[in-house]
Amino acid sequence: MTTERLLLELKAVSKSFGQTEVLQRIDLAVRDGEFITILGPSGSGKTTILRMIGGFESPSSGEILLDGADISALPINKRPFNTVFQDYALFPHMTVAANVGYGLKVRGVKNAEIETRVGEALQLVALRDFAGRFPAQLSGGQRQRVALARAIICRPRLILLDEPLAALDVELRRQMQSFLKDIQREIKTTFLFVTHDQEEAIAMADRICVMNSGHIQQLGSAHEVYYRPASEFVARFFGDNNLVEGRLGPSSGDRRRIETPLGALVCAIDGQPHLAAAPEGAAAYAVFRPEALSLASTGSSEENRAHGLVTGLHFAGAHTLTSIRAGGHEPVNLRLRLPSKVEGVALRAGEAADLYWRPSECRLVLK
Amino acid sequence: MIRDSKTPYWLVGITGLVFILLYGPIFVPIASSFFALKQGVVDWQQPTASAYVTLVSNEGILVALRNTLVVGGAAVVCSLILGIASALYVNSGRSKDRALLQFIIFLPFLMPPIITGLALLIYFREIEFDRSLVTVIIGHTVFVLALVYRTLLVRLQSLSRSLVEASYDLGASGWQTFRYVLLPNLTSAMIGAGILAFALSFDETMITLLVTGTDNTLPIRLWAMMRLGFTPDINALVAVILAFTTLLCLLAARYLMPRES
Repeated sequence: MTTERLLLELKAVSKSFGQTEVLQRIDLAVRDGEFITILGPSGSGKTTILRMIGGFESPSSGEILLDGADISALPINKRPFNTVFQDYALFPHMTVAANVGYGLKVRGVKNAEIETRVGEALQLVALRDFAGRFPAQLSGGQRQRVALARAIICRPRLILLDEPLAALDVELRRQMQSFLKDIQREIKTTFLFVTHDQEEAIAMADRICVMNSGHIQQLGSAHEVYYRPASEFVARFFGDNNLVEGRLGPSSGDRRRIETPLGALVCAIDGQPHLAAAPEGAAAYAVFRPEALSLASTGSSEENRAHGLVTGLHFAGAHTLTSIRAGGHEPVNLRLRLPSKVEGVALRAGEAADLYWRPSECRLVLK
Repeated sequence: MIRDSKTPYWLVGITGLVFILLYGPIFVPIASSFFALKQGVVDWQQPTASAYVTLVSNEGILVALRNTLVVGGAAVVCSLILGIASALYVNSGRSKDRALLQFIIFLPFLMPPIITGLALLIYFREIEFDRSLVTVIIGHTVFVLALVYRTLLVRLQSLSRSLVEASYDLGASGWQTFRYVLLPNLTSAMIGAGILAFALSFDETMITLLVTGTDNTLPIRLWAMMRLGFTPDINALVAVILAFTTLLCLLAARYLMPRES
């Protein structure tokens, strides 16, 4: 239910702890109703952004605007946001119902109304029968859902989630991902979700904000961030991408050539005007995903081709990741993801392979 | 003594000897308080409870007992209030004045009690504050505060910082956060620390001796009785104080030990 209306804006926000600058002039706009994920390795400043929006930290400089008004000085308990903490932060001495109703109780809401709304919130997270239990008597996934119910009951404008799935095992994490997504659609509230897990971000977010060492590297849809990386960092951050270094050649329309040890490669640059504007000879990488590579039959006329030797096969269930040493006197290691078959993939170690990939699946990032 | 196959005999022997030599004497007055005393010598042939009868009929001792309970109770209340306040303050951040406050709170607990007592005595005289049970209560509070403070601080630090943040995040004020989140999680630590503080106050002698006026507490009374000669009710009094202090320590341990979840 994303609209173009802005809910929250960070303008040139910086944050230092002592001498360490953890965020450098961050600009970020959160749209009303969207599920936005802040993704980055540990130490990238992603949690600091969340904590500044929540009011747990104050920015060293810059503004945080809610509906256009600066809220930098507003104390935590006056901000219309609620947080799901990484360790859930459930009050150990209170029952599930008391935990969920806490936000209403401290606002002086009448007991009868608290009871109704706690019932509704627990219904939403499918924990109605657990109202009388204590947090210590719940499983990790149940605690997570209590924390969520507690955050949504006050009907906040924005829900902040600080790596809430980090402590769960893989299977449960998958379930919780779609559960969170469903809840977000149902209550139509903006979610700002912090994680270090690329797959999680892709699976959940309307938009992903990729962070590294205090800077925003890219902000875009999961599809954009995955297929059209804006920087070398983003290109390397998602999976086993192939990056081949080279120098930019001439451009024609939505395509631009790059001279690499594999020869001239043709890359798509649509929607990235800065790549069309970059001078010829500039250092750059051709970026293409392992699943974009196909085995070529001889005589195929595709523009991007490579010839090499298979150096390794790594069976990973549904796929087999294949390493190929390609090119002439400056060999380049390429990774090719092939669907696994019971009788094995079409290649064996030591064999020669011809590869091709379409220009539309080959992008550029500047070095 | 329980001995598993890995413990050598000599270690068991030394531990046993240490136990008997160091802790044995404690049990002598308890045992002898139940026997008759003839010309200053315990007559082990004649069990009697007469020492305890003498004790409870002694008006002076009953008054001293009442004073001890009043002082202990008041010192516990004062040290709990001050302890919570300073533990909350120290736990709320990191700075030089917090470290200094912590050091000052520990000082009277680490210094010889005679120094603390003398310092207080001189101070009270300088400001012309009459010595009474009130000065004893102040003295005891200064002495036991370190223990109460430390116990509460450790409990506070064991609570996840995000609990307090979650409370504010959900809209609670500072007072509501204290009342609904912190206080309930501090209760057992407060009970434990309070009992320990009471036990310390109960047999505190040196500071009391220096800052009291004409009022006697139980240990002071015991001190005075000993100077007049060794009587059977001294044994009985020692036994009573010892039993009471042990009981308090056991109780405190119950509240302060980490509970199995």
